Amino acid sequence: MILRTVLAIAAAALALEASQSPAAPELLFRDVAAQAGLTFRHHAAPEKKYIVESMSGGVAMFDYDNDGLPDLYFVDSLTVDTASHPELARSALYRNLGAGRFEDVTEKSGLAHPGWGMGVCTADVDGDGWEDVYVTALAGSHLYHNNHDGTFSDVTAAAGVGVPGWPAGCGFADYDHDGRLDLFVSRYVKIDLGRLPEFGKDKTCQYRGIAVQCGPRGLPGESDFLFHNEGNGRFTDVSEKAGVSDPRGYFGLGVAWFDANGDGWPDLYVANDSTPNFLYLNQKDGTFKESAFPWGVAVSEDGAEQGGMGVALGDYDHTGRQSLFVTNFSEEYNDLYHHDGDHFTDVSFRSRTAPVSLPFVGWGDAFLDYDNDTWPDIIVVNGHVYPQMDQARFGASAGYRQRKLLFHNKGDGTFDEVAARYGPVLTDEHVSRGLAVGDLDNDGRIDVVINDLDGAPQVLHNEIPQRGNWLIVAVKGVAPNTGAIGAEITVTTPSGHRTEVVQSGTGYISQNDKRQHFGLGTATEADVSVKWPDGSVSKQSSVKANQVLTIQQPAKR
Amino acid sequence: MIAPLAIVLLLQARPTNAAQPPAGDRDALLTRAADAAKSGNRAEAKRLLGAAVERYHSVSALMQLARLESEEGDGDGALRALRDARTLAPNSEDVLTAFAEVSLRMQAPVPAILALEALTRLYPDEPRHPYLLGVALMRAGDVVAAIEPLRQANALDPDRALTLVALGLAYNSRKEYSEARPLLRRALDLEPENADTLAALAEAEAGVGDLENAERDARRAMQRAPANATANFVVGVVRMAQQRYAEARDALLAAAVADPASPKVEYQLSLVYARLGDQAASEEHRALYERKLRAIEQAVAALHAPSSGGGE
Repeated sequence: MILRTVLAIAAAALALEASQSPAAPELLFRDVAAQAGLTFRHHAAPEKKYIVESMSGGVAMFDYDNDGLPDLYFVDSLTVDTASHPELARSALYRNLGAGRFEDVTEKSGLAHPGWGMGVCTADVDGDGWEDVYVTALAGSHLYHNNHDGTFSDVTAAAGVGVPGWPAGCGFADYDHDGRLDLFVSRYVKIDLGRLPEFGKDKTCQYRGIAVQCGPRGLPGESDFLFHNEGNGRFTDVSEKAGVSDPRGYFGLGVAWFDANGDGWPDLYVANDSTPNFLYLNQKDGTFKESAFPWGVAVSEDGAEQGGMGVALGDYDHTGRQSLFVTNFSEEYNDLYHHDGDHFTDVSFRSRTAPVSLPFVGWGDAFLDYDNDTWPDIIVVNGHVYPQMDQARFGASAGYRQRKLLFHNKGDGTFDEVAARYGPVLTDEHVSRGLAVGDLDNDGRIDVVINDLDGAPQVLHNEIPQRGNWLIVAVKGVAPNTGAIGAEITVTTPSGHRTEVVQSGTGYISQNDKRQHFGLGTATEADVSVKWPDGSVSKQSSVKANQVLTIQQPAKR
Repeated sequence: MIAPLAIVLLLQARPTNAAQPPAGDRDALLTRAADAAKSGNRAEAKRLLGAAVERYHSVSALMQLARLESEEGDGDGALRALRDARTLAPNSEDVLTAFAEVSLRMQAPVPAILALEALTRLYPDEPRHPYLLGVALMRAGDVVAAIEPLRQANALDPDRALTLVALGLAYNSRKEYSEARPLLRRALDLEPENADTLAALAEAEAGVGDLENAERDARRAMQRAPANATANFVVGVVRMAQQRYAEARDALLAAAVADPASPKVEYQLSLVYARLGDQAASEEHRALYERKLRAIEQAVAALHAPSSGGGE
């Protein structure tokens, strides 16, 4: 009798404990990288004694073989010790076979060894209908031409786009409306591998009293490049003439081309580390006017120069305009700059995206409607640059490895940070850098791919059970801009409208799937309009939900 | 906006403990010195204290000498005396505290921090030391590091308005407005008329997007102190958010007058003039913003330089 009573009490206690334990994580993402056959591993020196060992690498989600399934390309890097052996870095191209499987096609592709790789962007550079690849790499970037047969040819020298120094971010856009895609490349720090700043030596090589890598503050920066596409396989450096060369040498990273002022011409945003960001407004005459300060997107709301890394565009509040989300260093906050028409307003704290970001060093970021409720959410991947952080943590700053941030858009201009709701796949700590979003399996749920510094990649397959309807819009432009880079796609349902931009170069030195994903909520059909880069507009009404819709730009008459 | 209030906080801090009562020849000298000081004959007081130091290596004499030097505005002389006192009594709570306080008054937070770190280790139950350490760290521009000692001070001596305000300011500075708000509200319960606290609360409220309460509390602060820089700044940013740019400009201009060293006010002014279409004024304030930003960076660097005033 006594034993039975004790057992009953124990059972009750266990039940009570179970009822009081935290709720089990809800299913959203599952990391399927290993199961999908991805064996890529990013390389970096374990101690990161030099800044150049902390900044790689990008990831691209793009359909290199035109089979309708986005493929993946991960950029690898070298270390100071292996710098003279470029073969030791192996960037990797994976062909999406469907059904959750990927095949390593790196060797055949010719994309394995761009050297000390940093970032990547893709576009059909020559108008042949196949996406080409640009890889930023220390001491020389590479333009790889797609040969339509699973191979690429390095055409850097012929094209004249081999940027020296430390190129980081890149993006293609037709800035002069000649129909051809031009290329912008941001550069970071001026660095000489033969004369590297000594670890921990100077004041700029100390972080709260501990010795760390030097920079970027205290090191010279590098100018940026804009290449005009001449249409004959050649590009011309027009950086200075166009007014985007950055003669002061700010520390350039993430790049975003978009029409900021609604005049139909591509403008350019550049996230600069530890220096003010740039917003170059297109003057429609081949030149740009840097306007980040008056437009309110140069610095934080209190005028602090932040560590700009990644930059994402999104119409998060259904205004039809692209707001900006910029990731920054720890003890700064990630900026959400709301597009107000003729300027931006820093709404980071009002939107509630800022406070939780303070401990983290943010990198790849994207707007994505992960639950298809029509409201674009935000994902951010994090990770410090100093492994030494783990020896001594300070204040609220997180350690070297850091969790992700997932912000759920409440539809009223504010967000809830919900990573913990979805468990370890988001809360496990990594040292992440590039991030790309897109629908890998065309199931209407947007997926996330991440390149981790000195680690294995993550492929976060979206398996959310409760979800709204959706539409994926792929646009095909007329040659030579066959990818319709710069097109604005607007999807309208009875509950509102949302506009997204087809971009080359996204987030932190990475490339999202160029097809645009729209959550439709309960709507079963939608109207779709496409404003093409030349200003013409195509419309389709009452498009059925839950499909990949391809829209072809009408040929010019 | 931290620095002015931090100075106020410091000035409100209680004085160091009085010297020990006199006894024997040494104590007679100290008594005569104290009497001389009391009667206004400071030169004689200093002469007698100097004699006590020379003959008896008296720590009390050095402390009194430092106080006299400090009162006369000779911070360097005060610090010299206190350094000598530290040599004689390296772990003395009174000496270390006085050294830290004078260092802070001398705008030399780094040596103050070193002394206060020693004090917090030697006397872990005394809330005043972590409080001053937090203030010193804020003065040195290291707000992140300031939070922990201020929290420690708050735990040792809860409900002390000065500590609550300092901690609230530190959180505001780190943009952890949700943390700052309850602390500042409690500080206001204790000292409802404090304009600086009201302004800091308004800043926290504006930070979390509670514009209505932010404006209300900023206005309350301005009723008590019309030129309060933080309060005017908060009204400015609230008006910016409401797109009432002319009113925002006026409030921000008032903030700039009240806090002429602040780059963030100039930055907001550059934005508000851009919204008003006055590009020339926008550029002018952007230039001021950049100049003030660099000045602050240089000042922080100078504080941490080995040769900074009052250094060890």
